[in-house]
Amino acid sequence: MSSRGIGSKSEYLVFQGAQNFRLRIILATLSGQMIKIEKIRSNDLNPGLKDYEVSFMRLIEAVTNGSVIEISYTGTTVIYRPGIIIGGSYTHNCPNSKPVGYYVEPMLYLAPFSKKKFSIIFRGITSSHSDAGIEAIKWGLMPVMEKFGVRECALHTLKRGAPPLGGGEVHLVVDTLIAQPITMHELDIPPIVKIRGVAYSTRVSPSMVNRMIDGAKQVLKNVGCEVNITADVWRGENSGKSPGWGITLVAETKKGWCFFSEEIGNSGDIPEDIGSKVAYHLLEEISISSVVGRNQLPLALTYMVIGKEDIGRLRISQNQIDEKFVSLLRDMKKFFGTEVLLKEVDDPDSNDFIATVKGVGFTNTNKKIA
Amino acid sequence: LNGQISRKKKWDIGRLIYMDNISPNEVIKRWRGESNGDEDSDIEDEDAEDADFFKKKNDSATAAQNYDTDLEKFVPYFQTFDKLVQKWNDCKALKGRFVGVPTMKESENAEDNE
Repeated sequence: MSSRGIGSKSEYLVFQGAQNFRLRIILATLSGQMIKIEKIRSNDLNPGLKDYEVSFMRLIEAVTNGSVIEISYTGTTVIYRPGIIIGGSYTHNCPNSKPVGYYVEPMLYLAPFSKKKFSIIFRGITSSHSDAGIEAIKWGLMPVMEKFGVRECALHTLKRGAPPLGGGEVHLVVDTLIAQPITMHELDIPPIVKIRGVAYSTRVSPSMVNRMIDGAKQVLKNVGCEVNITADVWRGENSGKSPGWGITLVAETKKGWCFFSEEIGNSGDIPEDIGSKVAYHLLEEISISSVVGRNQLPLALTYMVIGKEDIGRLRISQNQIDEKFVSLLRDMKKFFGTEVLLKEVDDPDSNDFIATVKGVGFTNTNKKIA
Repeated sequence: LNGQISRKKKWDIGRLIYMDNISPNEVIKRWRGESNGDEDSDIEDEDAEDADFFKKKNDSATAAQNYDTDLEKFVPYFQTFDKLVQKWNDCKALKGRFVGVPTMKESENAEDNE
């Protein structure tokens, strides 16, 4: 086998297929473990990595030092030997096949453990149906990081850019640099104190925004807590190249955890329907979750696994244990050898579990040297 | 765990998750008791069978299946709009999760009483 960096393990971990692609690259980077991913869409009409995955690998190359990435001729095999996370200033032009959220989200796993602060500008589409939107990251994922001691991080929206043409620009700044996430315990379901949200539009009539807010409020009027949805209408140069509109709702708890849902409208959709759909999704997400929502779970659990050699605990609900959860835990075990223990809570009225994880004692390599 | 403690096998989710020869999909099915696999057969046999079965299936994995396990997909799965409307017609089931401001109705009543 080829030469290897100091501290990295000698053997490749081998994976197959394109699933969990970003997670695997991230976990490899955090653990310093070399990986080989093969059979990437090998039976597809267009085999191999997609342009956005290649773009993501470029981004990884830019924020690390000493990483080696080898992509086979057909693109169906990737070998990745991770370097150290260095961060710094960088501008990443995202292809229009994926929104900026696709690239920003995995950066959140790496940024706090970097040598230099992350200051990355992402250009491209800022909203989509399937990936994290700007507000979802700002109000949904960053609060999770805060619970683990990453307090100074922000995502600034410089320009919005709706699909298909995009033209948006966001700036990710993570100023917190820590050796490892703090050990976190959350055994109770935090009560929700208010719901807030933002309805935004680019290059369409501002009435769309108000109609979305009406739709959402209609659904949420019965929940019995403060609902505050702001209108965010973008005009002119900063509103990107395409017309678009969408809404993000966040249910905030006293403790700082929050649940969120989001959606964007297609042409032909009725704004009121999108507003109420997102509101219903929020209620559903709350009912399914205990402390973190389903799309916050990977981030929270990853931070728990790479934490200090101490036991962290997180309450999760029975409904959160789904296929994604299983595949997440399996991948984490492959990289770190850590299993997440599930214990039923001491409450006959509840079907919740406490996910107990012993941190691997990962240390930010840069902190060790300093 | 191997024996028939209860009529239907009760799976320990903690162990099931890390049985690599069972696909995530099947893990959830078994745990929720939806599996139609032969409950009486020996665990080992069953596992081996499933491993084979799913290898074949994975090759021609459908989009729907990918949706279930792939963490590349950020937005979680939701039921259809109509179902959610029915489910959340009133928010009673979630009442315990919210605190703070009294509902509109209550405050209206309070004003009426005055």
